[in-house]
Amino acid sequence: MSSTNNSTHDQITTSQAAVMIINYMLGAGILTLPRTTVEAAKTPDVWISILISGLIILLSGMIVVSLCRRFQGKTWFQFVPEITGKWLAFVLSLLFIGYFITISAFEIRIMAEVTGLYLLEGTPVWAIVMTFMWIGLYLTTGGINSIARICEIILPITLVFFLVAILLSSNIFDIKNLRPVLGSGFMPVIRGLKPSLLSLTGYEIMFVAMAFMKSPKKGTKAMLVGITVPLVIYLITVIMVIGGLSINGVETRTWPTLDLMRSFEMQGLIFERFESLLLVIWIMQIFSTFTITHYAASLGWSQLLKKNIRPFLFILLPVIFLIAMIPKDVSETFKLGDTVGNMSIYLFGGLPLILLLISIARKKGVKPK
Amino acid sequence: MNRYIRYASVLSASLLLFLTTGCWSSNEIEDVSVIVGLGLDIANESRFERDINQQGASYPKKKVLTATVQIVPPITGKNEKKSGGSSSSPSKAYLNEQLTGDSVFQIFRQFSLRRDRPLVAHHLKVIVVSSELARRYSLEQIFDFILRDNDIRPSCLVVVSHRSALEALSSNEPGEIPALYLMGLVDNRYRSNKIIPPMSLIKLDSTMQSGESFLLQNVVTAQGEHKFSGAAIFKGSTKKWIGELSQYDLEGLLWVMEDVKGGSLKTYAPKTGHTVTYEPKNSHSTIIPKVQGDEISFHIKIESEGRLIEDWSFPEIPSSGQYINELEQQFEEEARKQIEQVLNKMQHVYHVDVGGFGDQVRIKHPKLWKKVKENWDETFSHAPITYEVKMNITDFGSSTD
Repeated sequence: MSSTNNSTHDQITTSQAAVMIINYMLGAGILTLPRTTVEAAKTPDVWISILISGLIILLSGMIVVSLCRRFQGKTWFQFVPEITGKWLAFVLSLLFIGYFITISAFEIRIMAEVTGLYLLEGTPVWAIVMTFMWIGLYLTTGGINSIARICEIILPITLVFFLVAILLSSNIFDIKNLRPVLGSGFMPVIRGLKPSLLSLTGYEIMFVAMAFMKSPKKGTKAMLVGITVPLVIYLITVIMVIGGLSINGVETRTWPTLDLMRSFEMQGLIFERFESLLLVIWIMQIFSTFTITHYAASLGWSQLLKKNIRPFLFILLPVIFLIAMIPKDVSETFKLGDTVGNMSIYLFGGLPLILLLISIARKKGVKPK
Repeated sequence: MNRYIRYASVLSASLLLFLTTGCWSSNEIEDVSVIVGLGLDIANESRFERDINQQGASYPKKKVLTATVQIVPPITGKNEKKSGGSSSSPSKAYLNEQLTGDSVFQIFRQFSLRRDRPLVAHHLKVIVVSSELARRYSLEQIFDFILRDNDIRPSCLVVVSHRSALEALSSNEPGEIPALYLMGLVDNRYRSNKIIPPMSLIKLDSTMQSGESFLLQNVVTAQGEHKFSGAAIFKGSTKKWIGELSQYDLEGLLWVMEDVKGGSLKTYAPKTGHTVTYEPKNSHSTIIPKVQGDEISFHIKIESEGRLIEDWSFPEIPSSGQYINELEQQFEEEARKQIEQVLNKMQHVYHVDVGGFGDQVRIKHPKLWKKVKENWDETFSHAPITYEVKMNITDFGSSTD
């Protein structure tokens, strides 16, 4: 497997690309999204914010796809030099790699925090994190196709269990908690945009994944599906959590989505309690986000330096671990998450559009038919 | 070379397997004390505590509250060594343990000094707070640890005991676990319109955060038996116990707050004075806030369908349209009386809104709500309230006359 040309056998189908986007977007955000949006907006209207940011994300996703289509079979690290020149491209790619590394560190840390609190109290953090990372390493050495296939296995399980668990909470759902709609006008909705945008990022993986697609023409379709599914899941989550706990309740809970699951018990069903179920599927989601970002960052290095990817997979592992251990406590971890999110807004909000315009103006790449 | 790689991979795989077993800190269920109930009382040291304190076995603390934990199943063999006031005979399915202190968390940990099996609160179902304690301290203070703890589930039910919480968590019935018994009573809501919607920890937390006044179900105890009766009123600004609503008040309030789906409404036939009883099958209530300038008033519309379930009139009067009409009016009158009484208590005795009137203003007039929210309880107690009640008797059970 050469590092510069993406070998023919390591390819992914359209649905695999879509599934990868979905799995990447469904990260740690879901556990905190209701709180972060309500904290910013202070009204129950945050579901509107999420809808709007979904549209914004779709738009930027489209820009990403049309940019990538001009450079078929090439990843971000390979085509940016053609647009901006070598040195600027080097800096941009480094930022890109930095972003992927930080996000994968952040996901790991959130996983460690939550399992430490609710699932495996007493198990040392390094023990949880290291097994998690080593298994991830094993997966990434198999290339992007293995990652895509594991995503295909994880996603249906996630969707089924998630829907079952969240719909069971409907007996503590109270529509009063979601009313009045737009009671304080439209401003709070706008204030809620930023946190909801932060948790919806993830489409940027197409900068890497599209180069591996068998039929890049269907990139738009993959992007569309890939964004819509997480958007619907986030929407359901926020509506159910606020309906169940009310905005006053959501604001004070560290992990509101888990607390929703902890707020009811179903006697007679096989499980009485559902938070462990939700946690288990969410650990799988965090795992897929981690492996995808870990792979993307390593691929970035390998393509930048035109070397084989394997050593980078190994080298980045301790780096990610160290970054994950930097935040001293939960609130610093959340701050790290905010930083990553802000980074993503700068990197993937405006930059792709600028690059697209430049590449059109300078007639770089192939115009897609 | 190849062989070494194979050895190394087998070795590392088995090492990884050791790490993935997961349950490093598992606790066998036999080795822990599962608590299902927690009672919080004002400080009242048990004899055991007094005895050990005389031997100097105390630590720096103020005597603020006494916590009772209900442990199931009881630890056999230890029952002979009755501890303090909280006695437990071998026939009992539970064990009540008491300790006094000024930090709920410290008390919880203090239990590990006298029990070889540590407490686990994963299965805590009911928390009983005595009205006496809730009158002195704000619920926010008492519940702070409980809301933070990651063992206790937010689905746990909170009730108030009229007298001591220990009494509410004790029982004479062999084999009965009082905590589970209290939990079970809540499920009877479809049979009684005297039970308020259960207040779980998560709901309590969000209600306290919102600053609204609220109700908690009241438990009364006599001779080791329990009964839900009325509700305790908590003031939103202080989160302290300020009074109680009786069963009769609660019926009136539930007509206003909830869609009553069961229970009974009893009154006496106009001329003869015989008992007649109505069973609501379905009811719907709407609170309509009316705003004129800064003046807020309310109109309540209650419509109910149900059956005439008991009629002591003799000789029985045929179920003619006119007779039914008279009875319907009689039931409406009775419900109006209940509603009037509870509104009077809310507005003029306790000056609190525990009927969800504020919620309606918040939803229908969000701008106005921002202005009045700070001082809502006071504003509410001056708001004129009108109400109309419509009871429709739609059937007469199995007997028609």
